[in-house]
Amino acid sequence: MSVPAPNLHLSTGPHIRRGRTTAEIMWLVNLSLAPALVWAFLVYGWPVLAITLSAIAGCALAEHLACKVRGIDSTVFDGSVVCTGLLLAYTLPPGMPLWMPFIGGALGVFFAKTVFGGLGYNIFNVALIARALMMATFPVEMTTAWLTPELGALGGVDALSGATPLVNLTGDREGTGAVISGTPEGMAHGLAFLVGLRPGSIGEVSVLMVALGAAFLFWQRIIKLWIPLGVFAGAALFAPWSPDPLLYMMSGGLWLGAFFMATDYVTSPSTPKGQLIFGLGIGLLTGMIRNWGGYPEGICYAILLMNTLTPALDEWFRPPRTAPEGTPS
Amino acid sequence: MRLFARRHGEATFARGGVHPDERKELSAACAIEPFVPRSVTVPVSQSLGAPSVPVVKKGDRVRRGDLIASDESGGVPVHAPVSGIVKSVDSGIHPVLVLDLSITIEARADEDEPTFPEQPGWETLPRDALLERIRRAGVVGLGGATFPTYRKLMLPADARVDTLIINGSECEPYLTCDYRLMLEQAEEVVLGAWLIAKIIGVPRCLIGIEDNKSDAGAAMTAAIARLALDRRDHPLAMQVVVTQTKYPQGSEKQLIQALTGRLVPQRGLPMHVGTVVQNVATAFACLEAIRNDKPVIERVVTVSGGGISQPKNLRVPIGTMITPIVEACGGFTDEVVKVLAGGPMMGRALADFNAPVTKGTSGLLFLTRAETNLDRYQPCIGCGECLDVCPLGLEPSKVSQYVEVGRPLETEEFGVFDCFECGCCSYSCPSNRPLVQFMQVAKAAYRHAAAKKKVSA
Repeated sequence: MSVPAPNLHLSTGPHIRRGRTTAEIMWLVNLSLAPALVWAFLVYGWPVLAITLSAIAGCALAEHLACKVRGIDSTVFDGSVVCTGLLLAYTLPPGMPLWMPFIGGALGVFFAKTVFGGLGYNIFNVALIARALMMATFPVEMTTAWLTPELGALGGVDALSGATPLVNLTGDREGTGAVISGTPEGMAHGLAFLVGLRPGSIGEVSVLMVALGAAFLFWQRIIKLWIPLGVFAGAALFAPWSPDPLLYMMSGGLWLGAFFMATDYVTSPSTPKGQLIFGLGIGLLTGMIRNWGGYPEGICYAILLMNTLTPALDEWFRPPRTAPEGTPS
Repeated sequence: MRLFARRHGEATFARGGVHPDERKELSAACAIEPFVPRSVTVPVSQSLGAPSVPVVKKGDRVRRGDLIASDESGGVPVHAPVSGIVKSVDSGIHPVLVLDLSITIEARADEDEPTFPEQPGWETLPRDALLERIRRAGVVGLGGATFPTYRKLMLPADARVDTLIINGSECEPYLTCDYRLMLEQAEEVVLGAWLIAKIIGVPRCLIGIEDNKSDAGAAMTAAIARLALDRRDHPLAMQVVVTQTKYPQGSEKQLIQALTGRLVPQRGLPMHVGTVVQNVATAFACLEAIRNDKPVIERVVTVSGGGISQPKNLRVPIGTMITPIVEACGGFTDEVVKVLAGGPMMGRALADFNAPVTKGTSGLLFLTRAETNLDRYQPCIGCGECLDVCPLGLEPSKVSQYVEVGRPLETEEFGVFDCFECGCCSYSCPSNRPLVQFMQVAKAAYRHAAAKKKVSA
């Protein structure tokens, strides 16, 4: 034998793979979240970046330590935990103390992700568990640390203590039609919500930027539209009871939740029918909580509740078999 | 005037499928060359089913085409691929079965080397005689499945088959052996198909060819016209159908759906929807078996991949070892990390070069690190990609998760028994999960459980 055999690898087929890895998907999702962050930075200034970094650092630290404890390679750079940190920060008011997102992110990742076994094994959306935890722990800061937007005022913008604009839109409150504080004078509220010139959470302030990122995800075929469609349809059923149905549907939280949180692969169903029902459930629960409940941002709890249904939805709605059943004649 | 030129084939299967890099350009322009090694080692298992029984012993002199293993066991007859001396009948490497009884023959040309001339009267042989020649020649499905062809053509009396499908899809990346055969020997392939149609008594034959091989399609269409099949003693309406280039277009059930719209039931056979499917190389082998009384003693093999200096399409005797083939193709160009028998989607990885070409070896691929996938796998993230690309609508992700937690015997409902291991799922998985292997593990667990039950009963 004159041809030396090299060291050969053995495995079952297929021996080639399509180029996109889980890490690449996660970093593409992070990229799609960038426009919202850039916009928030432009209107609220440096605190936005500080809070975002703090949330990511908290999440990453918990993930890294968990990997150390389990004796596996650190998964911090697979993009997933950065995504969690980003999403958490996007739900927070820009005026909150810096240490809070760090604590929230770390505890969220610990309780919702690492104890279940890490990426792929969690039941609940990690960022939303972190947010729910912060809502319980820091109720005042979570609902009042708003900043008045000012385009290009990178240095300092005015702190604005008060309720989130959505509070003005819940059914049983007054203030209907009143000026929502913090929006530019003379600007229609709808437009202010659309471009993001209003007090709000970091990543939710501009519906336009969220939609831009969502369009990117759809174009990259990372998300499908069944879940967001369901969310909007479900939420729309409650819109007639809202003092301002347009603003109700234009809340950035609904958009961020529908496109970025509810579509999380791990915690959402895999088939179109399951996804549509999952989305509808989220939309309905969101409308319910907003309409009758005490929390303006119902979507966080709506998604967490529907997360529990994911395994059942996957079992009830299976992919259709191509080949017909039955013994051939 | 047509505003939108139909550049692409329309026909395809309805669900799933993937589009891997074709990589056929490496060897598509390489005309089929003959290559004869100094010795061959022929495993006796050359078909799906029982191994054949050697009828020669060490020291015997054999002529090319002589029977060396008989089908009395239920396998297929195996013939001497070269004239020469039997050096050994011993255990050897088999590309699929790992080890198999193998007959090694040192090539020594006979003074009266058999040439397999055309047999007079082959065109008018009765059906039974045609079938017998196919059986006697040891023809098997040369697309890689190696199912004995005469058994596939021996339809039960109540079968209502109306269409013969000839598979020229060659949907596996890299492989070009069927493409070259259709291009260079189109008339032979068409005549072989006509003989098969005659045997099973169907009036219609469809040839499925992917639109990345449109010149092969044109060559086949021209051959059909020249041979005037509709005016023969068994009139046949034969037509080339250009299909989309999509893997696994060449899978039997997917091709049937693409060409006829019929769906083979779960665990059913093509004949249950009135069809019989044969690969183009098998049709060619049937013609040689009937016209020349020539057994299957050679086949066309695509030698390709980034790791081989000169990719080629070689017509080699069955039993040719990989080492002389590598030498004939100029050796390695780069670091080879994987050698495959077959295509990169469903082919088998070989442990070393001491493996022979069998009747089912359509390709030998020498893949470099950059071409193949040696990455580690990660947990399922539930993206649903495998559900989207599965042509059968199975749930590979669920099977993998159940197998991972040690519950393989609860996976039947996810479709393990229907899976034909095309590999679309693993190919697409962003977490690089070996989903086909999980399927295999689940199937093996069921087999094991059934065997255990039998023993205790």
